[in-house]
Amino acid sequence: MRSSVSYILSHAPGESVMSHPDYTQEIQHHACLLVLVKGIGGVLKNFNKLWERIQKVNNIKVTDSSGQVRDIWVRYVRDYPVENNDWGDFQTHRRLLGLITLSKFTNQIELNEVCRVHESLKVKYSNTLFDSRAFMFGPGNNLKKPEQEPEIYSAFEDEKLFKEKSSLSDKMSIPSEQADSLSSSESFQRPSSSTTSYSLPEENFTTPSNFKTHAMFYGENDPVLDLEQHVAELINSLFWVVESKRLERSKEKLEKVSLLLAPFEKRDFVGLDMESRNNKKRCMGRVTKNLADLTLQSGLVAESLTQYHSSAEILKSVNDWLWLAAAKEGHCAASAILIYPNLRNSTPLQRNASLQENSPLKLKSLSLYQSNDPFRKFKMGSPQKSKVSSPVNPPSELTPSSSESIETSSRQSESEIADTESLSSDIEYQRSFLTPDLPSIPRQPQSQLHNQYLLSNEDIAEKYRKAIIHYSKYQNAGIIETEACFKAARIAVEQNNSLIASGFLQNVMFINLTLSEQEKIQRFDTLAELYKEIGFLRKAAFCQRLAATRHVSVNNPNPDWRRCYYLMLHSFPGHKLSLDPNYVIQHQVGWPVLQIQLLQEVVVAAKRMVHPALATRHMTFLLQTMWPHLTKHEQRDLAIQLQALSAQCEGGPVPLVLETGEVIPPANLTHVPHCSHFTPRPLPPARTPHLIKLKPQQGPFIFTPIHFGSLERKSKKDEGKMEYLWVEDDICEVQMKLTNPLPFELKVSNMRLLTSGIVFESIPETIILPPDSPTTVNLHGTPKEVGELQILGYSTHTLGVKSNCRLKNMPMPNKFPASFTLEVIPSLPTITIETEVAVSGNLMSNLESSGSVTNISLYNGESTECVIKITNTSNVPIEYLDLSIQSNMDSQLQTKVFQWNNDDLQSQLPIKPNNTASIVMNLYGEADFLDLGGCDNLFPNSLTSNYPSRVGSPVPNAHASLPTQSSNPQNSLSSGLLNRTSGSFRSTNSQTTSWSAPLSVMPPSRGRQIEAQFLLRYSGGGDAEHCRQSTLQVNLELLPSVSITHWDVLPAEIPSQLYLVLDVTNLTSEEIDLHYTENKHILIEGKESCRVPVPLDRCPFNVTPKSNNEDTTEIRSISTGSSNSLELMCSEHITQNVKLRWNLLQSNISGRASVKGITLSQAMIYIVRMSPLNWEVSINKQCMKPQEEYSCNAGECLSLGVSIGNHLARPLHKLCLSVQFYQDYNNGVLNYKLENSVATAGNNKVVLTTLEETAKAYHECTVVFLTPGEFKIDIQCSTTEPISEDPIKEENSSIIQPCAGEISHVWRFIPPVAISVTD
Amino acid sequence: MAVCVAVIGKDNSPLYIGGIGTDSSTDNELSRQWLVHTALDALEERLVSSNTNAGNAPANAARTDLRDLYLGLLYSTDTHKIYGYVTNTRIKLVLVTSSTSPSGSNIRDAEVRTALRRLHALYADAICNPFHLPGDQITSSKFDKQVKNLMLNNV
Repeated sequence: MRSSVSYILSHAPGESVMSHPDYTQEIQHHACLLVLVKGIGGVLKNFNKLWERIQKVNNIKVTDSSGQVRDIWVRYVRDYPVENNDWGDFQTHRRLLGLITLSKFTNQIELNEVCRVHESLKVKYSNTLFDSRAFMFGPGNNLKKPEQEPEIYSAFEDEKLFKEKSSLSDKMSIPSEQADSLSSSESFQRPSSSTTSYSLPEENFTTPSNFKTHAMFYGENDPVLDLEQHVAELINSLFWVVESKRLERSKEKLEKVSLLLAPFEKRDFVGLDMESRNNKKRCMGRVTKNLADLTLQSGLVAESLTQYHSSAEILKSVNDWLWLAAAKEGHCAASAILIYPNLRNSTPLQRNASLQENSPLKLKSLSLYQSNDPFRKFKMGSPQKSKVSSPVNPPSELTPSSSESIETSSRQSESEIADTESLSSDIEYQRSFLTPDLPSIPRQPQSQLHNQYLLSNEDIAEKYRKAIIHYSKYQNAGIIETEACFKAARIAVEQNNSLIASGFLQNVMFINLTLSEQEKIQRFDTLAELYKEIGFLRKAAFCQRLAATRHVSVNNPNPDWRRCYYLMLHSFPGHKLSLDPNYVIQHQVGWPVLQIQLLQEVVVAAKRMVHPALATRHMTFLLQTMWPHLTKHEQRDLAIQLQALSAQCEGGPVPLVLETGEVIPPANLTHVPHCSHFTPRPLPPARTPHLIKLKPQQGPFIFTPIHFGSLERKSKKDEGKMEYLWVEDDICEVQMKLTNPLPFELKVSNMRLLTSGIVFESIPETIILPPDSPTTVNLHGTPKEVGELQILGYSTHTLGVKSNCRLKNMPMPNKFPASFTLEVIPSLPTITIETEVAVSGNLMSNLESSGSVTNISLYNGESTECVIKITNTSNVPIEYLDLSIQSNMDSQLQTKVFQWNNDDLQSQLPIKPNNTASIVMNLYGEADFLDLGGCDNLFPNSLTSNYPSRVGSPVPNAHASLPTQSSNPQNSLSSGLLNRTSGSFRSTNSQTTSWSAPLSVMPPSRGRQIEAQFLLRYSGGGDAEHCRQSTLQVNLELLPSVSITHWDVLPAEIPSQLYLVLDVTNLTSEEIDLHYTENKHILIEGKESCRVPVPLDRCPFNVTPKSNNEDTTEIRSISTGSSNSLELMCSEHITQNVKLRWNLLQSNISGRASVKGITLSQAMIYIVRMSPLNWEVSINKQCMKPQEEYSCNAGECLSLGVSIGNHLARPLHKLCLSVQFYQDYNNGVLNYKLENSVATAGNNKVVLTTLEETAKAYHECTVVFLTPGEFKIDIQCSTTEPISEDPIKEENSSIIQPCAGEISHVWRFIPPVAISVTD
Repeated sequence: MAVCVAVIGKDNSPLYIGGIGTDSSTDNELSRQWLVHTALDALEERLVSSNTNAGNAPANAARTDLRDLYLGLLYSTDTHKIYGYVTNTRIKLVLVTSSTSPSGSNIRDAEVRTALRRLHALYADAICNPFHLPGDQITSSKFDKQVKNLMLNNV
C-alpha cells in the first residue's frame, strides 16, 4: 500500500519532525482529550494505585449549553514528547490539554522543587495546555493547605491569549461560553476546597509565589477520596475550552481562515501566494478538518462525520495529500467510534453497583458536587477563576451564570438535601459519577448511525488504506503513517479481518524512520502483539525475535539481555515450540532448523543475562528435543557446550520459575545416553521365591480360539506387570542397555532407579560409556517394604545435567511400558549349603564341593553318608524347611539311593540367623546285580541255544521304565513244563522279568551317572506363602562292583533246603572277597567270575504274596498283575535270604549285593518252593532224610512207607500216589525196567479220592531187591484235578484246561530215595 | 528471478527448501527459512478465508475444488517478495523473489504464476517416485536440479 510517488513531496527531515511514535494509539483516541499524568518529586508509594484510579475517569458526560449531553472521553498518558505536541494543529487529539501531577514532598524545600517542576511542565506544554492539577502529598495525615497565591494561569487567560492570537475571534460569543464553562467548573471546585478545609493546621508549608496551579494537599496515606472528582473537574474544564474552540472555529469565516500547518510544512509555504484560489481552498479544507477534529473531541461524533467528509472533498480537489489523509483517517475514526462503541469501553472497569438508584441523576452527574455544602460553594473559589476572585469573595463572573445552570443546581440541591445526613453520600456520588454505565450512556441516536457519511466496515479499511498511501508520500509523516497503520490494524482486528490487519502491519515495516533502538524494539513488540491477536503466531514470533536481537544489537548502547531473553522465550509458540520437552518430542511440528537456531539464541541470552540455570536448562532442552534433527557433529558440539554451561550451574530435574511467574519445566536427557533395553530382572534362582503350596493343576489345558473379552482386558491391564516377585530387603536388579551416541567417552554418574509405590532404596551406579557401543548396565536396589513397586524409569547425571528419564517419555523407537510393576513379598531367609561326605575309609568316594555341586563315586552296593550343613545367612529365622530330591532315576530307585530322616530335620527348626542345621543323607549304590546282558561266554557249558529268549531280551528292558507287557506267562510255564525232565534248569529271564525292569536302570556291568538335585525349600519371617529354593547338585557315580551273570537252583540234601548257584563276576580290577553266607567266602580276582552255591531254605508254601515286603507289592502293581505271582513270591524269598557281601581288598571298600529281581522258570519254582504235600518217606519205619542213602542186602525185605500231608488250605481230590523204582546209570539214562531185580508187595499206585486239608494219608508197601545195585525210588503224587494254588494262578492257568482229565500236576519226592543194595 | 523455492507439507513442515544466492552459507539458508516460515501465517489465513467463503455457500463446494491454486503475493519485505501456491492436497509451494535485484523487482504476476505451476508439475513428478514417502523431505537431486534451473531460467 505504499504510494508509488514515495517521498516526492517530502523534504529532508527538519527539526520539527515528530520522532516519537506512539504505538499504543488506537482509533478512538482521535476523540479523546489528552491529559498527562506525571509523578514528580519523591516516589509516591501509591502512585500506581492513583494512576489506575485516574485512568478510570476516562469518560464524563457534560451537558452543554443547548442541553445536549456530551460524552467526553479522555486519554491519560504518563509521558508525552513535546515534539508530538507540535502536531496538534494537524490532528487535535495530539494536543496535550491537561496536566495532572502527583507529587510528594516532606519539607518546604521539596515542596518548592515540586512546584517548580510542575510549573516547568506547564511551560513545556504551554502551547496547548489548558488546565492543570497538582496533587501534593505531604508528610503526616492532615495538612494545612499551604498559603497559595491565586493562580494567574487560567483557562480564561489562556483562552484570552488564544483569542488574541487568533485574530478572528468572535468577541460576542465568548462571554456566554465563558460563563457557562465557569459556572460548571466552579461547581466542581466545591469538594476539593472542602477537603482542604478539613485539615488541621499542623505544619505550615507555603508554595512558592510563582506556583499558580490549583493544588490539592493530602497526607501521604490519605485515601484521597475526592481524586476522581478533581480529575473530573479538570476534564470538565478542558471540555469547555475545547467546546469553546470548536464554536469559535465553526463561526470563523471560511474565506478568511489562516493556513494550518503540519510542523514540517512550515518551510514549504514560505513565499507562496496564499491568496491563490488553490491555497484558499487548501486553507478552507484544513480548517474544516481541524473543526472536525474538535467536533469529534467535544463529543459530537456524528457531526464530525459530515465535516470530515466535506474537508476531504475540499482537500482532494487541491491535492493536499497529507491533510486529505488526515481527514480520511479522522473520518474512519469517527465512523469506527460509532460502529464499534465498545472500542472505548473496553479499558475502564465497569462498576454498576449504584446504577439503579442513581440513574435519574445521571444526566446531572456533573452538578452533583455543587450541593455538598451550599455554604462552601461560595466560600472557596475555583482556582481557575482566582484571577478575579479571592477565596473570600465569590467571583463576580460566577453569579451571572446561565439560567440553566442555576436550574440544574437548584434541582440538584433539592435532591441532595435528602442525602445530606448520609455520610456515604459523598462516596455514592463519586461512584455514580465514575460509573461509565453503558445502558445510561446516551447513545448516538439511531439516525446518526444511518448518517450518509458513515463508513461501512469495508469502507473504513479502504479509506484507511488510502490515507496511509497518502501519508506515505511524505517522509516526514512517517510517524503519523506508522501510527495510522497500527490504528488501522487494530480496527481490522476488531473487524476480524486478519488479512487486512496483516497488510497494515506489513506496511509498518516499510516505513523508513530514524528511530532509536528502543523505539524500534517497541515497534516490533507492538507488531508482534498485533500479529498474535490476529493469530499470525509465526509473524509474531519473527517480530519478537527481531525485537530481541535489537535489544542486544551492537548499535544498542545498553543491551538488555533480560528483555531479549523474555522476547525470545515468548516467541516459542510461533515456532511451534513448547517449554515442555515431552510435548515437543511427541508432536514434532515446526521447522527444526529455525527451532534449533532460536533455542541456541535463547541459550546465549540466558547465559548473558547471567542465569546459568536457565542456560543449562535450555541447552538440555535443545539437545533433548532436537536430537533427531541434529547432525552428529552438532550433537557433539552442543553436548560439549552443555557440559561447559552445566559447569557453572548444574541442571536438575526441577521446574525453574522465572521472575514473571513462568515455569520452565525440567528437560531430561533421554538421548544421552540412549537406552535401548530396560527390564527388571527376576532374582537369581537361588533367591527366587516360590509358592510353598503349589497350585493344584486346574485340569487339562484346553486351547480355545475364542478370545473372551474378560481375558483380553486382563492381559491388557497387566502390561508391564512382571510375573516374578521381588523380596523385601533383598537386592534386586534392573538390566538396561545403554549406548553413548556421542563420539567421546561419557561418564554417567549417580544412576538410580525411579520408583513409586513402596519405599525402594536404589543404589547409585556410575559408569563410563565408550562411544557408540552398547553397554549393559545393571541397576540395583533394595525394596524396603512389602507391596507393589512401580519402576518408572531411571535417573542419570551426565554432562552435568541430572535427568529423570521416565519410561513413558522415552524416545519413540523403543516401546517401553509406562512402568514396570513388581510385587514385593516379605523378606525371606537365605542359606548357604555345605556338604560333607563321611570319610569312612571310602577312598574312592571323593567329594568335590565346587559351587553347589557335589561329586560322589560309589561302587554298586556300597553305602556312605553325606552331611548337608545348612547355614542361615540372613536375619530371618528359617521356620520352614523341606528337602526333596529330583533325579534322573525313578522315584523307586531314588528312595533307595538317597535316604534321610525328615523328622530329624524338622526337629532342628527354626534355624536362627547364623545358625547351622545339618541333615545326614545316606547314600547307597543301589544296583541290579543280575547281569542280564552279555557274559555268556563265561560259562562254557551254558545252554544258551536252548534259551533263545535270553539273548538280547534284556536290551529292551534295560532302560525302559515301562514293563514289557508282551511277556507271556504261558511261555515260561510251558517251558518249565517242557524242561521238567531235564537235569538242570537254567535260569531264564525271558519276558517274565517285567517287574524287575524299572530297577535295571543300567546294566550293572557299566558305570552309571546319577544326577540328583537336592531341593531345599525354606521359608521364614512373615511370609507363609512363599519360600526359597536352593538346589544342591549331587553327581553320583555308581561304579560296577560285582554282577551275577547266571543263576540256577539245585535241590539241597534236605528237602527243606536248596542251593542257589550264582555265577558272580568281579567287575572291578581288584581282588574281591565275596561273602555269600555267614561264614563262607570266596576270593575272586579282578574281572574274573566264580560260581558260588548259596544254601537257602525253600520258600515256604504258605507264604502268601501278601507277606512280601512293600516293594514287591508295588512292583506287582506296576506290572499290573500280569506277572506270575508265584514266581514273584519265590524270587522275593530268594532276594530276602541271599545276602552277598563283598569287600574290595585293596581299597578296603565293602558293600552288599543282592539278587533282587531274580527270575525263575517254572521248574526252578518247584525246587524253590516247598511242596504242597508234605512227604514223609520211611523205610522200615526209619524216616529217610534227603540225600540219605539207605543200604540193604539183596533179598532183604524193605517196608516203604509214604505219608503225604496236605499243606494246602483246601482239600485235594483224585490224587494218585505212585511209587516207582528205577536205576540211574548216571549217564542220563534211567532204567525203569526192573522187573527182574525188584519185587514189590502191595500197591505201588494208590488213588486217593480226597485228601482233606491238613489231613495225612499213609501208604505202605513192601519191596524186595533181588539183585544188588543202586536203585532209586521215584515217589510221586499226581492229580488229574487242575491245580490252583492261588486265584491268579487259576486265572492264568486257563490254557492248561484242555489237559484236564489227564495228569495235570505231579509232585515228586525230591530227591529220590536212593537205595544201594548189596549182596 | 526467484531466490528461493520452498515446498511445505500440509502439516506445515518443510519438505524442501532450495535457494540460489551468491553465498550458500548457513546464514543465508537460515534467513530463507525465516522468510518462508513467516509467510506461512498469511498463507494459512488465506486458505481459511477461502474455505469459510466456500462454507457459506455449500452449493459452491464444487467451485472450491476449482479455486485458483495460485494465492498471489503473500507479503513482501524490503528485499523480498513472497508468493504462495497451494495444491489441492494442501501442499504449499512458496516462491521468494528478490526485489533488490533488477530482474526481480518488476516481475509480473503472470510470470510467478507460471513458475509456480511448473514447480507444481516438478513436485508432482518428484513424488511420483514410488520410493518416496509422502510427508518426507524431498531429497531427490533431480528435483533439486530442476528447481534450481527453474529459478534461474526465469531471470
